[in-house]
Amino acid sequence: MKKILLLLVFTSMTWGEPPHDHMHHSHEGHLHEELVDGKKLEVDPERFDKFIMDLKDSQIAVVNVKGMVCDFCARGIEKTFKKDTNVKKIDVDLSKGKVLIAYNVAYEIIFDDIKEKILINGQNAIDMQVINL
Amino acid sequence: MYFLSICKIIQNILINRLYVNIPPMGIKIIILLIISFGLDARPISYSGGSTIMSFSDNIKDSLYYHYSPSYKYSVGIENIRDKYFDDNYSYVRFTYLLNRKNTENSQRNLYLQSGISSKGFNEFFYGMHGDWETRRLFVGFGLKETKRKIHDYSEQYYQIGVAPYLGDYGDLHTWIMIKAKENSLENKWSTYPVLKFFKGNVLMEFGYSKKTEWDVHLMYRF
Repeated sequence: MKKILLLLVFTSMTWGEPPHDHMHHSHEGHLHEELVDGKKLEVDPERFDKFIMDLKDSQIAVVNVKGMVCDFCARGIEKTFKKDTNVKKIDVDLSKGKVLIAYNVAYEIIFDDIKEKILINGQNAIDMQVINL
Repeated sequence: MYFLSICKIIQNILINRLYVNIPPMGIKIIILLIISFGLDARPISYSGGSTIMSFSDNIKDSLYYHYSPSYKYSVGIENIRDKYFDDNYSYVRFTYLLNRKNTENSQRNLYLQSGISSKGFNEFFYGMHGDWETRRLFVGFGLKETKRKIHDYSEQYYQIGVAPYLGDYGDLHTWIMIKAKENSLENKWSTYPVLKFFKGNVLMEFGYSKKTEWDVHLMYRF
């Protein structure tokens, strides 16, 4: 048993990578239907329409998140963003791996801040698209 | 007093989070049942998060609270009723996330766990558990060595599961699992079905084997 434990500890040291190694592009302040690498940001239109229904003078950060595979694990993301007084509304889309965050239109969205908030929950924000309403 | 406080907390969870109203006596019965059983899962919360969990198996009952200053580790206190040696004691526990791999469709975790007993520094445990999951599939394992003056022992388990449907955020999520476990005290394997449910901040697992009887785990994160 001890040998198995030791083997697993050493194997894990060389395995995998730290969660913050997955950052790619920041798209803050821009309205893109495609990312710079040509990859499309998939947002469920029905879900998006429902999310913005009661919002005015807002901008939506659509954040692509890695590792958000379970509802129970994503709870911290919602809690962390709800503590931010600049956030008007948040939605977690597990099926697409997206987090939708509504801010006031005057607020400057900084992708690094969002990445940090998602990282303290143990997931990785990899891309962001900002949509002005 | 301690038991009544836990009952009150659980009742508040059920009323405020799940909108289920159960009379106080019903809550006490549920808690007594839950404290009589148990499992192990999600040992670290998000940064600043707390978790209270109750679990047991055929050799112990446990009530465990932990706080996570970071998503990489948690510290906590676990109170144990040792059914095998007919003893009561506590552990100061530390769990460390040794490795995590996030992908678009999966997450893999490897945790190191340890605890020092209230009976003294020469009574402790250490171990490792890990999991890999997608929204549809789950695979997990756990290995643990416990050092006690009376008798040292080891435990291990392996678990696989499938989600019969993919719920949306906030829905009731369900997992159907198979678990195999063994400890060196009894030196026998038991394999049995486990059902896992979670909604919001509440998670419950139920497993039953003829050999080892019930495994149930209740967890609330806040």
